[in-house]
Amino acid sequence: MLTKIHHVGVVVQSADEAMKFYRDALGLKVTADRVIEDQGVRGVLLEIGGSEIELLEPTRSDTGVAKFLETRGEGMHHICFESDDVDAELEGARQKGIQLIDEKPRLGLAGMICFLHPKANHGVLVEFATPLKEGH
Amino acid sequence: MGIGATHIDHIVISSNNSGATAQLFADNLGIEIKRKMIRPGTSAQLAFAKLQEVVLEFAGPPEPKLDEEVKARIWGLVLAVDDIDAAVTSLRDQGYTVSDPSKAVQPGAKIATVKGGTSGVPFAVIQYNALPIEEPA
Repeated sequence: MLTKIHHVGVVVQSADEAMKFYRDALGLKVTADRVIEDQGVRGVLLEIGGSEIELLEPTRSDTGVAKFLETRGEGMHHICFESDDVDAELEGARQKGIQLIDEKPRLGLAGMICFLHPKANHGVLVEFATPLKEGH
Repeated sequence: MGIGATHIDHIVISSNNSGATAQLFADNLGIEIKRKMIRPGTSAQLAFAKLQEVVLEFAGPPEPKLDEEVKARIWGLVLAVDDIDAAVTSLRDQGYTVSDPSKAVQPGAKIATVKGGTSGVPFAVIQYNALPIEEPA
């Protein structure tokens, strides 16, 4: 069961530049900031209430995030819903015939994550996440 | 420093058929569409779901063209603040262009939009209980 909005993803040219607004001007606390090599992104999570804002800066040009930035520019990229069982969410989606990006959950900045294909939701990219017990 | 933001109030999903997109999200994700309304003034069709403190707002045109492929995108972000006047002043003091707070669609709420500097995200702040709630005539 999806319990809450874990985060919204925002693709940015430069996380450092974006943090001038999200961290410095809004005063949001950075809870994670690291490069995920296999995804070719630097991800920065900023806490806001029970959710987070995730800034995604591409670190190389051959990734989906880089292509998004190239074709659409900076802006909202995906919504991540939290679940206590990402495997069950993915299996439930599969049984409904929903087109998937990830065939099985993988480790991401938000914990164990998976993405549905945007075609499944009228073009909106949806992520499921189950946070790790030890946090980010 | 900061603007006293308490939580993400709502995420706007723009669609050329908001009813269809909201229903698809309900079917695919199991979220419940709690309310539908026509936005006063623009006649935009709105549908709302809520997960804990965050509202998903599906927004679309008054009369969707039913023969068109439905396309949606995550459009913008609204954060709740305790004091919108203080939030606006803080942002302006830091060089951001922010609209004057005005009456929001949500009863008793005021909203102000930030123009530029948000990394391409249409962005606003909202304060509830900022205005007396009008009783129906």
